[in-house]
Amino acid sequence: MRKLYLLLMGVVFFAMQANAQRTITGKVTDEKGNPIANASVLVKGSTVGTSTSATGIYTLAVPATAKALIFSSVDMTSQEVLIGSKTTIDVTLKAEDKVMQEVVVVGYGTQKKSDVTGNIATVKGSAIADKPVPSFDAALAGRAAGVQITTANGVLNNPPVFRIRGTNSINLSSYPLIVIDGVVTYTGDNSQTLAASNVLSNINPSDIESMEILKDAAATAIYGSRAANGVVLITTKKGKKGKAKVNYDGWVGFTQPTRMWEVLNAEQYMMIKNEGLSNVGAAPRYLPSYTNDGKLINTNWADVVYRQGVSHSHNLNVAGANENTSYFFSIGYTNQQGMIKKNDFDRKTIRFNVDHKVNNWMTVGLNSSYANELNEAALNSGSLPGAAFASGGIGRLALTLPPNIGVYLNNGTYNISGNAVGKMNNIETPTFWNPQPILDQNYSNTENNRIVGNAYIQIKPTKDITFRTSYGVDYLNTDNKNFYSKIQGDGFANSGTAFSTLSKDKRWTLTSTLQYDKTFGSHSVNLLLGTEQQRSTFEGFGLTRQTLSDDFFTVIQGGFNTPLTAGLGLGENYLASKFGRINYDFKKKYFISGSVRNDGYSAFAAGKKFGNFYSYSGGWDLSRENFWSRGLSKVLNSFKLRASYGKVGNISGIGNFSSFSFFSSGLYNGGASLAFSQAGNPDLTWETSKKSDIGFTFALFNSLISGEFAYYKNNIDGLLLSVPNSPSTGMPNSVLKNVGSMYNKGVEITLNSTPVKGKHFTWNTSLNISNNTNKVTALAPGVPFITTATSLETPSITKAGYSVGMLYVVETRGVDAATGRRIFVRADGAEILYNHQAPVASRWTYRSNGQVAPAINPGVDQKIWRNTAPKYFGGFDNSFKIDNFEVSALLTYQFDFYVYNGTRASVLDQRFWNSTTEVLTRWQKPGDVTKIPRLVYADNVSNGSAQPISENAQKGDFVKLRSLTLAYNLPTSLTSKAGLSSMRFYLSGQNLAMITKYQGPDPEVSSNGNGNTNQGIDRNTVGNALTVTVGLNVGF
Amino acid sequence: MRKYIYSFSAALVLAAGFSSCVKDKYMNPVSQTSISDVNAFDTKTRIDAQVMGIYSALKSGQLYGGRYFIYNDVRAENFLSNDGNRVTARAAWEFSEASGDNEVNNLWAACYTTINRVNIFLEGMKNKGNAVAGADSSRFNAEARFSRALAYYSLLQFYCRPYWDGNGSKPGVPLRLTAITNYGYNNLKRSTVGEVYQQILTDLNYAEQNLLLNNGSTILNITRAHRNAAIALKVRTYLSMQNYPAVITEANKMVSAAAPFVAATGVPHVLSANLVSVYTTYQTTESVFSMPFTTVDPPGTQNQLGFYYMPLGVGGASGIFYLNPSGIIGDASWTATDVRRSSLIITNGGKQWLAKYTNPGPFLDWAPVIRYPEVMLSLAEALVRTTNTVDTRAVALLNAVRNRADAATTFTTANFANSTALTDAILKERNIEFLGEGIRSIDILRLGLDFPAKSIPGFSVAAIPSSSPAYFWPTPSEESRYNTLID
Repeated sequence: MRKLYLLLMGVVFFAMQANAQRTITGKVTDEKGNPIANASVLVKGSTVGTSTSATGIYTLAVPATAKALIFSSVDMTSQEVLIGSKTTIDVTLKAEDKVMQEVVVVGYGTQKKSDVTGNIATVKGSAIADKPVPSFDAALAGRAAGVQITTANGVLNNPPVFRIRGTNSINLSSYPLIVIDGVVTYTGDNSQTLAASNVLSNINPSDIESMEILKDAAATAIYGSRAANGVVLITTKKGKKGKAKVNYDGWVGFTQPTRMWEVLNAEQYMMIKNEGLSNVGAAPRYLPSYTNDGKLINTNWADVVYRQGVSHSHNLNVAGANENTSYFFSIGYTNQQGMIKKNDFDRKTIRFNVDHKVNNWMTVGLNSSYANELNEAALNSGSLPGAAFASGGIGRLALTLPPNIGVYLNNGTYNISGNAVGKMNNIETPTFWNPQPILDQNYSNTENNRIVGNAYIQIKPTKDITFRTSYGVDYLNTDNKNFYSKIQGDGFANSGTAFSTLSKDKRWTLTSTLQYDKTFGSHSVNLLLGTEQQRSTFEGFGLTRQTLSDDFFTVIQGGFNTPLTAGLGLGENYLASKFGRINYDFKKKYFISGSVRNDGYSAFAAGKKFGNFYSYSGGWDLSRENFWSRGLSKVLNSFKLRASYGKVGNISGIGNFSSFSFFSSGLYNGGASLAFSQAGNPDLTWETSKKSDIGFTFALFNSLISGEFAYYKNNIDGLLLSVPNSPSTGMPNSVLKNVGSMYNKGVEITLNSTPVKGKHFTWNTSLNISNNTNKVTALAPGVPFITTATSLETPSITKAGYSVGMLYVVETRGVDAATGRRIFVRADGAEILYNHQAPVASRWTYRSNGQVAPAINPGVDQKIWRNTAPKYFGGFDNSFKIDNFEVSALLTYQFDFYVYNGTRASVLDQRFWNSTTEVLTRWQKPGDVTKIPRLVYADNVSNGSAQPISENAQKGDFVKLRSLTLAYNLPTSLTSKAGLSSMRFYLSGQNLAMITKYQGPDPEVSSNGNGNTNQGIDRNTVGNALTVTVGLNVGF
Repeated sequence: MRKYIYSFSAALVLAAGFSSCVKDKYMNPVSQTSISDVNAFDTKTRIDAQVMGIYSALKSGQLYGGRYFIYNDVRAENFLSNDGNRVTARAAWEFSEASGDNEVNNLWAACYTTINRVNIFLEGMKNKGNAVAGADSSRFNAEARFSRALAYYSLLQFYCRPYWDGNGSKPGVPLRLTAITNYGYNNLKRSTVGEVYQQILTDLNYAEQNLLLNNGSTILNITRAHRNAAIALKVRTYLSMQNYPAVITEANKMVSAAAPFVAATGVPHVLSANLVSVYTTYQTTESVFSMPFTTVDPPGTQNQLGFYYMPLGVGGASGIFYLNPSGIIGDASWTATDVRRSSLIITNGGKQWLAKYTNPGPFLDWAPVIRYPEVMLSLAEALVRTTNTVDTRAVALLNAVRNRADAATTFTTANFANSTALTDAILKERNIEFLGEGIRSIDILRLGLDFPAKSIPGFSVAAIPSSSPAYFWPTPSEESRYNTLID
């Protein structure tokens, strides 16, 4: 063979000597004979090349040394043709068998997609690169079956709720493991300010080449104890062979609130509020105030806190590779303004990836990045976990502040009275803050500086064996700075407050693998052995200073009277692992695979630190069987079955010292105190999931339609639960115990097709549908259920026999038409009416006989009501290419779930709070049939402020136009004249439209972030933003 | 040669990666910020710090750091709500507390946190600490039991019928007396009110016998329990049980027979000549037990007395409650020159405000839990009630308290037509003297009085008779959820 090759080369060499300079022409066509435009024609081993014209014709002057030409085009298999003495070379390119050729990234390696027996979904980086979001995870919504992304609110850089195949834990995290270029990264919101700071936004989305979402045990078990929630592998870009390519992409756009609640104007407000008073026989207390020129003051408080924000982003990268070295260098800058005033995101990133082949047996490389990121806020959004009832939460303030008072007094000063907005001519005193001075004076900013580097050395002593050792560091420094002015808001009570904290997260990871790949005839074997250690440390400290000595100071270094500590923390954990995997196939027809991992984790109890995790799986490519080709293949040209089973674990969210019981120090009378502070579980160990998955991939009608089907079941047992204590035990915490069980099961269907593929028009479509059923099967013994609060109220319950985080409300049955009172239903089924006007002891009466009834007791009368986890969800992506134009639209949807619309309680509260226009349909006279009870001044029970009521549990089903993009690619004829390789303009919109019956701005919100047991709560949350951008993409 | 290089390199990579063994030090980390339960009773310093930890539980903003006083005072007639916010005692004020309300849950939890700290402490002392602390151990145990008594007493004032109703036979609260350091102890039924009072007295008797007579310094005598503090709390307890002879017996231990009334043994309590200093310097001769605050140890947001009672905007206060003109400040016999009116009440924005806690944010005024005049007036009341006469010593005790603030007003036995008139005067004196100090509601409760009606523009709260379900708070919903034996 080798001799033949040499001989051939000799011939070529001779031929080239004879033809020192010449021009080659030809035509490139597809299998049907259609010309392929823009196909690349490159002289092998050089950068000399051209591309074909619209008719597929090319002409290329080749240098004397040219030996062969490489023809390639998008979606086509590249072809290499020896030039020899030819001057005309016509080539027919074959369509790439995508499924067969695609390589997917798997844990600690790569695999051909056709060989994979696990369930892995791939999302290309290009699908999210130009989306105006700070981090990639937010852009994954609707992109892959089984992946549910819920953008929790319109606060910039807030981590989305990210679930792969349902909620897989109750007390630990359900957030997937994120691995960037082989190194497990931090996730979550690391902010200690009012700004959100999703640490994943440190990764510039335009640096991402691909994202692999590993779903079943076969794919994830190699990550052992951290795999229960699924794994997302992020691969950053590398240089591709050829001369250096320079690419710029940038966009500019605006963002604004959408589908806002409609609130009463000043006149309506006074009318409604005074009606509540007159209904109780009281005189009006809501009176008009006027501007200096005599106009009625009518303030839309939403205008005070929301805005149309302007954002822009710029990315420049240089990438290339030669035989030995590939490199990718990028810099990125983005500045994004959120829809909330002063909520800004500013990020600078640098990335440098390099791989170098030192010689034919050694390769070294480095992936490194630096990010500086500033997350800014002044106002409390009231939308981040724990903030639903925050005094300054603008989700509520923007809706409920009285419209008949001004932001400013007529003399131009702030309309404030103490730590509240001033009442102006009203008699009733509003107790909410005026957000304007807070917006003007306060800041609450989180700055991250992060360096991630991962260097490796790879040695191939023989063709089949690869050793690889990599060492990675991940240093994240977070700087939180807050200043609260004494004029209004959080700083008022303490005459001005500043607090700053600094935290340092440091992690190193050492990974070594040995890989053996060998094909013996029809048998292929791939073996992986590895070890890994990962150590993470955390240290935080800070300072709170109160009582400004002089109004001049706005920084913590200025003059204040009181020093307090803040943000103290010290933590460490360590994971040491050994793992292995074997893949075997026979004739690419029968596949079996197994993986195993042994993890030791420092947080577990002594003697319980180590655990084993494993998976096994198999695949059968039926379409390679002889019987298949006899006819079935005409219709079903590809069909591969696969199945897997395995056991994985979850450690995310376990405290570093949860197995210990502690006494902690405090203060009393200026001296040290010590008190029992943590009850530990000395038997604490792994939470494990047993995952099974069965499915098939297929292609129909010569790959016109391809798709994937999967059924899965994830049994989680040894669920780590915080066993709740009755308060009379006086326990400082609830103990994590390995009790309880839960499962998720479901079906995923993905369909892809290119129904039309033509010279002028191409249509690509992709649909995914997921169904997930979650059920808790056991909680801790003696714990009948777990209720979970959203700050001050408790609308969520988790109980065996139901899905996690059901809504938990007092049932109400509308409004009694005779009396206009809200009908509440007690646990025993009795209907009782509420009348806030009556003396306290007689407010509750039986609907049947009007006699006084005992008050509703939420602990007794709340009922398990509706599911919050959508049963169906997915995405529908369509793109059309019409000559140089592209239109693409992504719809995402979630069906069959409920949301607790707690905000509706806020906007129907009968204290001084403003209402939505829905209140205009209130009950006014006997016989009125309406959802809004008779207005009674100060009533905060009938609307659901005092306890969650079923009236506010609403169906959340929605279909959302998540993104719509219109793009134009400049024809090559034009770009080549300008010396560019490509140029693309686009106009893109996010969150442009939605179909839903939900009453709030957006059912796709979460007042509790990624909480497991309190999903589906919309309590004073700001909705999601609408964003429109125009962008430009230029390649040199 | 190349083969050797290969082998060598491969060996090197292997050595670097595979052979790096698990680091024991990393796999078995030890907390550097908390002390293991195993070592919590190893030294006397730690044991002493744990006693402080018990006091700091009492000092919680949910309890004696602020809210216990506030709930007590605003349920009664002397304060009017200036703020509809439910999370700042509005519901307590208007008697609409529901079982799910945070106030109902948090006060209960704060009491039981204290109780469990005590129980853990007592058990740890028994097992190890008594030997370590030596002679001081009985005093430490006594401080713990004093605190447990105070916590149980506080629970009874909110979650149960008063003692007089059925002579303590009504449902009390769960009596937790053993250390709970793990899950699995959720269920415990309520003991009766009488049983809980009995436990309080048992603890206080132990405390009286084992506390130090004097803790050695003024500040320690005020911030840590001493013998007279236990006696004073016993006086309060017996008064709530309407056991007047016992009130007299206990009070006589620390009130001399005649004016000037002083405590003959233990900390020599006597009325402070300067009443205002009680609220400004905190460390006076009449301060029996107070909750101290420092800049690094404040009461916490929305718990501070001054934050509630001082006018909106003054020193960062929120002006949540102002004084009811129809409450005790409307009493004509309380003169304008009385220091308690002239110096401890201010007018702002047309409303009158309590100015005992004037320290601006972060509101570090100490919270007075027990003051000597309470013992004096309790004694006076008990004397009248047991003798059914216009008792001269009772009048003298009343005068002592009145004259300290209002030298111009002196009562004589002739001022009182009968014993009822005198008890009314004593009760009124308590109402004036302890305005904003968490006494008024417990006086209403122990005597079965109505909580008087009160109103603000546009809203009124009807009188709550002792028969009303709103007379005391409902069982906290969190307790109902997880303690299946509670109700």
